Amino acid sequence: MQGQGTEARMQQTHRGDRDHARPDADGALVRRPIDPQRLLAAVASPEAGANVLFLGTARGFTDGVETTGLEYEAHDSMATEALERLCTAAVDRFSLLACAVEHRLGRIAIGEAAVGIAASAPHRRAAFEAAEWLMERIKREVPIWKCEEWADGRRAWVHAEPAPRDGGAGHERGDGPVDPGARRSRGRRRRR
Amino acid sequence: MQHASPSAAGRLRLALFAGLAELAGTRSLEIPWDGGSVGDLRRAIVDARPAVAGLLDRSAVAIGGRYADDDVPVPAGADVAILPPVSGG
Repeated sequence: MQGQGTEARMQQTHRGDRDHARPDADGALVRRPIDPQRLLAAVASPEAGANVLFLGTARGFTDGVETTGLEYEAHDSMATEALERLCTAAVDRFSLLACAVEHRLGRIAIGEAAVGIAASAPHRRAAFEAAEWLMERIKREVPIWKCEEWADGRRAWVHAEPAPRDGGAGHERGDGPVDPGARRSRGRRRRR
Repeated sequence: MQHASPSAAGRLRLALFAGLAELAGTRSLEIPWDGGSVGDLRRAIVDARPAVAGLLDRSAVAIGGRYADDDVPVPAGADVAILPPVSGG
């Protein structure tokens, strides 16, 4: 239910390497800095009364331990498909006008954004809730991995600790019909 | 596809990611394979790279970009990825 104007703008900001069945729902992996203006432009609509932009940035200190940088990698095709699927699901679930997500891969300096989410809606509640919902889902189920690098020179890939056989945090499918075929049978996944 | 190199007969090539690749010492692991299920594949991976056992148990298997349960057959030449618990965002 986006206006003609939104579609026209999406064509302009389209990166040209994929066809978008849903011009109002755009999820992508990028290997350059997150561009907040591009994200906001992608969701702009004359019907919007709320445009929420969320940036997840690399935090320099966690519980007093200094992180010097992050590195992300992904299963490119599965992650891209998952991001697009989640954007489409968010538009439907929260009746958004449009939604756009970028997740960055490669090395990221402290303070830089690793993920950007933009959501537009007629009123603010839907846009805020959609951004929060998307962030939760991205962290839980998109095949992207983070490597943390610490001030003492150590580095380690982050793989959430197991809830053995019953929903390790990594591959939960959550509550929506986003990808029912993706559920694993070994270990019932928790629902939140 | 990200992982497209064909496997030789009787072999299967697997794409590994993040900490799993680090433990295995490679992002593209080739193992002997004469057919079997995803569960069989998990055991074959541990035989080839015992160090991955713990993390592998918490990892998902995808065939052709689709998550596959342990009872799903893995055909020769399949595009197989092993996905450890995710940590994006």
